[in-house]
Amino acid sequence: MSLRKLTALSLYTTLSLAVYAIECAIPPLIPLPGIKLGLANIITLILLQRYTAKDTALVLTARILLSALLFGQALSLLYSLTGGVLSYAVMLLSNRMLQKKHLYLTGALGGLFHNLAQLLTAFAVTSTTGVLAYLPYLAISGILTGLFTGLCARYSGRYLLPRL
Amino acid sequence: MQKQTYINKIPVFIAILLCLILGVSLLAVLHPAPRGTDCIADIYQDGRLLTSIPLDGSSASYRFTVTGENGCVNEIEIRSRSIGILSADCPDKLCVHQGFIESTGLPIVCLPNKLVIQLREADSPSADITAY
Repeated sequence: MSLRKLTALSLYTTLSLAVYAIECAIPPLIPLPGIKLGLANIITLILLQRYTAKDTALVLTARILLSALLFGQALSLLYSLTGGVLSYAVMLLSNRMLQKKHLYLTGALGGLFHNLAQLLTAFAVTSTTGVLAYLPYLAISGILTGLFTGLCARYSGRYLLPRL
Repeated sequence: MQKQTYINKIPVFIAILLCLILGVSLLAVLHPAPRGTDCIADIYQDGRLLTSIPLDGSSASYRFTVTGENGCVNEIEIRSRSIGILSADCPDKLCVHQGFIESTGLPIVCLPNKLVIQLREADSPSADITAY
């Protein structure tokens, strides 16, 4: 990895951590577990569009580990990891199929599968079938917030760092 | 040429799929939970049924605490026909913000403390309940 690329990816990691910190400061609008904006996904989407799958995975992993270390609790790492891995895989596939166009669709799919993975994790952790009642709520919020982050990524990408 | 039209249809296909999921979920959310009858609150921790409390309006309100394996504490208040979490020592307090529930819709979930409070109608068994 060239020094330029390493620097750029580090900057993107910092940026996603900063966005994550801002999101943590916003009080939850709907008091249901798992419903949040997922603003850090903006950075993941921009990276998917501009860099390789491996670079994106590196930044995403660094962001998840660092955010758990800086802001999180032990259990939130588990949720972030499962959500992050599944949504990354789905967004990677969708971004390839859409040939890097229609980033908002990729974002919506990513949000949906992020929430699905978190719900399944919650199901595994609590082993109570009742938590599955959250499925429709989490599906709606995942798609809507994913659309939002996708649009953010599309319109903010051009003002960010040039591709190094 | 054939492949090109196939690729052009992928975004439409994904958009329709997302709209379908959105529509079905909206229907499920807007579908009113049955209420009005007497409920029983099942309190689960770590998948085990801790206790079942009838919410039939017969008892005065009272509070008790549930302590988890890591020393996590949830203070639960039972009112005559509703149940809720008053305080918790988890960082996000989402379970407290959910307030009091009185119908068999969404259960109250405290993920850090692995606590689930779920209501069911008084005449249904406690095992294998689904909300819909």
